[in-house]
Amino acid sequence: MKRKMQVLAFVLALFMLLTALSACGSKSGNSENSNGGNTGNDASPTADAGKSEAKDTITALLPPVSGHYQSNFKQMESDFNALYPNLTLKIEPASWEDMTQKLDTQVNAGSPPDIAFIGSDGISKYVQQGMLMDIKDTATTEMVSDFDPAPLEYMKNGEGLFGFPAYMEVHAIGGNKEYLEAAGIDWKNVQKNGWTFEEFREAIKKGVVKEGDVTKRYGFVFATSGVTAKDYLNILIKNAGMPASFNKDLKYAYTSKNYLEVLKAVRLMIDDGSMPKELSSVDAGKRWNMFLTGQTMITGKGLATFENNANQNNEKLKANDGSAVQGSIPVEYIVLPVPTFLGEEPVSSTVVDGYVTFRGKKEPTAEHKANVVKAAYFLASGKVAATTNNDLFAAHISKSGREAAESMTVNRNPDNVAAVETLLSHANPARPDIPVELGAKAIKMEDEVIIPKLQALLANEISPEEMYEAVKAAAIKNFGEDGIVND
Amino acid sequence: MAQLAKTQIVKPAKRRRWKGDGGWAYAFIAVALIVYAMFTAYPVVSAFIISFQEYRPLGSVFIGFDNYVNTFQDSLFWKSIKNTIVYTVLTVPVSLFLSFAVAILIIPLKKGLQTTFKAVYYLPAVASGVALSVVWLWIFDPMTSGVLNQLLAVFGISNQNWLGSSASAMFSLVLMAWLSSHGTSIIIYLAALLGIDGSYYEAAELDGASFLQKLWYIVIPCLKPTTLFLLVTGVIGSFQVFQNAYLMTGGGPDNATTMVGLLIFNNAFKYFEFGEAAAQSLILTVIIAGISLIQFKFLGNDVEY
Amino acid sequence: MALYSTHTGNKPIKYIRNTTIIIVLLLFALATLFPIYFMIISSFGDPVEAGALSYSLWPSKISLDSYKFFFDYSEHSYRWLLNSLIVAGCVTISNVVFATLAGYAFSKIRFKGRTVLFFVLLCAMMIPYQVTQVPLYILIVNVFQIENTYRALIMPGLVTVYNIFLAKQFMTSIPTEILECAKVEGCNQLQIFIRVIVPLSKTVMAVMAILTFMESWNTFFWPFLVTNTMDMQTIQVGLKNFRFANTTYFAPMMAGATISALPMFILFFSLQKYFLEGVTVGAVKG
Repeated sequence: MKRKMQVLAFVLALFMLLTALSACGSKSGNSENSNGGNTGNDASPTADAGKSEAKDTITALLPPVSGHYQSNFKQMESDFNALYPNLTLKIEPASWEDMTQKLDTQVNAGSPPDIAFIGSDGISKYVQQGMLMDIKDTATTEMVSDFDPAPLEYMKNGEGLFGFPAYMEVHAIGGNKEYLEAAGIDWKNVQKNGWTFEEFREAIKKGVVKEGDVTKRYGFVFATSGVTAKDYLNILIKNAGMPASFNKDLKYAYTSKNYLEVLKAVRLMIDDGSMPKELSSVDAGKRWNMFLTGQTMITGKGLATFENNANQNNEKLKANDGSAVQGSIPVEYIVLPVPTFLGEEPVSSTVVDGYVTFRGKKEPTAEHKANVVKAAYFLASGKVAATTNNDLFAAHISKSGREAAESMTVNRNPDNVAAVETLLSHANPARPDIPVELGAKAIKMEDEVIIPKLQALLANEISPEEMYEAVKAAAIKNFGEDGIVND
Repeated sequence: MAQLAKTQIVKPAKRRRWKGDGGWAYAFIAVALIVYAMFTAYPVVSAFIISFQEYRPLGSVFIGFDNYVNTFQDSLFWKSIKNTIVYTVLTVPVSLFLSFAVAILIIPLKKGLQTTFKAVYYLPAVASGVALSVVWLWIFDPMTSGVLNQLLAVFGISNQNWLGSSASAMFSLVLMAWLSSHGTSIIIYLAALLGIDGSYYEAAELDGASFLQKLWYIVIPCLKPTTLFLLVTGVIGSFQVFQNAYLMTGGGPDNATTMVGLLIFNNAFKYFEFGEAAAQSLILTVIIAGISLIQFKFLGNDVEY
Repeated sequence: MALYSTHTGNKPIKYIRNTTIIIVLLLFALATLFPIYFMIISSFGDPVEAGALSYSLWPSKISLDSYKFFFDYSEHSYRWLLNSLIVAGCVTISNVVFATLAGYAFSKIRFKGRTVLFFVLLCAMMIPYQVTQVPLYILIVNVFQIENTYRALIMPGLVTVYNIFLAKQFMTSIPTEILECAKVEGCNQLQIFIRVIVPLSKTVMAVMAILTFMESWNTFFWPFLVTNTMDMQTIQVGLKNFRFANTTYFAPMMAGATISALPMFILFFSLQKYFLEGVTVGAVKG
């Protein structure tokens, strides 16, 4: 009797566990069904999609590329379905900061989405994992020839092509027109001919406004909190003769003497009082806020889309309905080039982001591959690209995008358009020749040595020389005495 | 999986002697063990295997002890261990002491007030960490307009670069922990305090014991199991701490706030070196197990586990 | 109650003592509550991109626009709350039931392998969750293929070792004599559990329920990993969507945080009385 009761209790416990599971499961089942009614063919799992010849689902993990981007997802999905009735595009939204993490976990588990929107600098990492899908042979000639060659290069690694570019943007800096003119800076000339660090240093000194000991306005504020510190150093060193972490002979470039000079300049601008001493904790949101509220003359990094943001805020101020950024003033955003160092040629820090194609654990079938390429091309060209890039004030980089954009109007300062063109004319070239192993080592070194030391340099805890020595020591450890630049 | 197998092995042997309540016990723990085996033991075993591999989603390569060797040679790993120990030593005992003190102070109050204060101290634990971290970022704003800096200005101290300088970043995280992580401990302490038998106090009062003597000879010994429990879980939690460093400083500046938890996270999800991350997390497990054992040994002599 | 002297017949001293205590507690409470105060105050601000440099400790005005903005932001805002409720509810119920059962077995029933099994369970508490994250994800997504379902959100949290530990610690203090009496009277273990243990353990069960619900409600990383569509996301994952690359809608984010914390506040306040029942449990002991 007792034994039976014990067995019964055991069974009961299991039963409770199972009901708990199935009760919850049925709930989710219902929700899926109701959901499926709206979006169409939701039921077919991606993994099996390749089997059926006709129907296929392509998944895409997309961040809020531009302000209105994510609200267009429904439209994009139905447009794609109208174009290819047998195909379903399923978009998963994610915020920028969560994007990488989510993608990385999915990649690690061997089940990434078919398409993800990432920076082209991330490609080498996934190539090394063997998780990218080479679409060189699948993409048609019309597709490939639709894109400008320079940005398309960024989507390549070694021999392979791993997706289509969405835009090519220049990381520059941006100024407040009124303050620039008040400080006597001929910004039109700077836009055309650039400036040297010495000129820049004097200019931002003039931009400082003080009330007693308290700085009311800084000359220059760049976001350097956390990982954004990387952007700061990178746009500076590109203009100091180091366009990539490796030179043409594949030697590690950041051990050059010029690197030390840039580090000294970073410190100088803070010591001059032109940049805040708390620079190391200024994040992207904050410095943009400082720019809009008139607390800095120049800000960085500057993207073309910031002109759009500034314009929108100006309109809100005009409407006076309390929706503008608190305490903000009307600002005219001026695109400015990054100063050059030591007489080196200017090289703009260029960023190409795009729709990268992934593969899962199983080798994808030819049909599925072709379908993924169709979806990636759909997202990267034509109307979708035109809408997105206009929203971003980014240049169009595909013929079909330009055509689709002709009918759309954009309110942009023509001087800025010209300035961006000038910057793009000396964009730093893609470097698909850097082997993935070297690239991965350089990225890890940047994260583990350069950024931490730069943070310490900005917080005035170490000298430029100390940072330079630390980077050099780590470079020798990683790449050997012969693997680095010695000048 | 290993645990599941163990129960199955144990059971047939036990069947002959099912006179006792063993069968009931196994029935009661069955679900817990199954869940444990599936969602904890299996992933751990799988992580253990990965720690000897160079992990690749499409087929890993066995590389022996390389991941462990690399970890021990990595100066950043040691730095993160040091940071974690500093953080633990600064936060856990202080948090425990604060919780204990607050619980003692709450006890004599009327029921209504007790309830109110308990609720008040518990509130920070209730709100989501993601949202609160944003608030804390504002509090630690480095400019003169920052909340904490305004407070300092009252005392004539110039503004501090709280999270932006290696000197103060760790302290900022510790301060945040001091002010937000004791709600649970207070409530557990209170529950334990209320559980102390009143007759102990009566006996002590007959002997003319003072408040402090009662505290020392009755309360502290009676709360020993609770303290041990909170200490062990506190230290374990502190060694795994990840979220605050991740959301507030990202480990910076100059890796001053890179804790082991964050380092492992970075290795796994930033650099794809899951093998090394697995090795590091298993080393961390051993360290935590060691510390817990020491705590049990020194504090838990008269506590049965 | 009698840790402090009762000061019978000396009321002024008692008043002074209690007032001092209350002042000390209030000061500490002020520091503790400040972030939450700030969160709620900010949530009444206008739904504009916040000036990172404009802090006000007092609300300049009370407006519910940010709450409206939060719910208008996505058509799934309400769904996020519902999802969180379903997931946290299931996890809480299963934890209370199974952890109490297991805690009882580990604390009061002698069986072969008890120490070993408990030690093995305890080890799990020392394992950083980073270790298990990827294998667990592979298990849910590739083996069970249940990503983006409630099951995926609930299953890994059905019983936590922490709760078993908590239950066991609590039940160790229940006098064995009571159980032996029940046994002599002919109760089997299930009956003992339901008739004796559960009534005595209400406090710890309430504590467990609140802690579990709260943790499940506030957890971000796992739901973020296993959900693919907006309609399956939980409130914490949805909350994160407010943060954009260069701007932060601070007030609506705080409104969302306040909304997400509200069910927790309600739960906590309504279960308060169970905490106070610790007194009764103590009385049974004597």
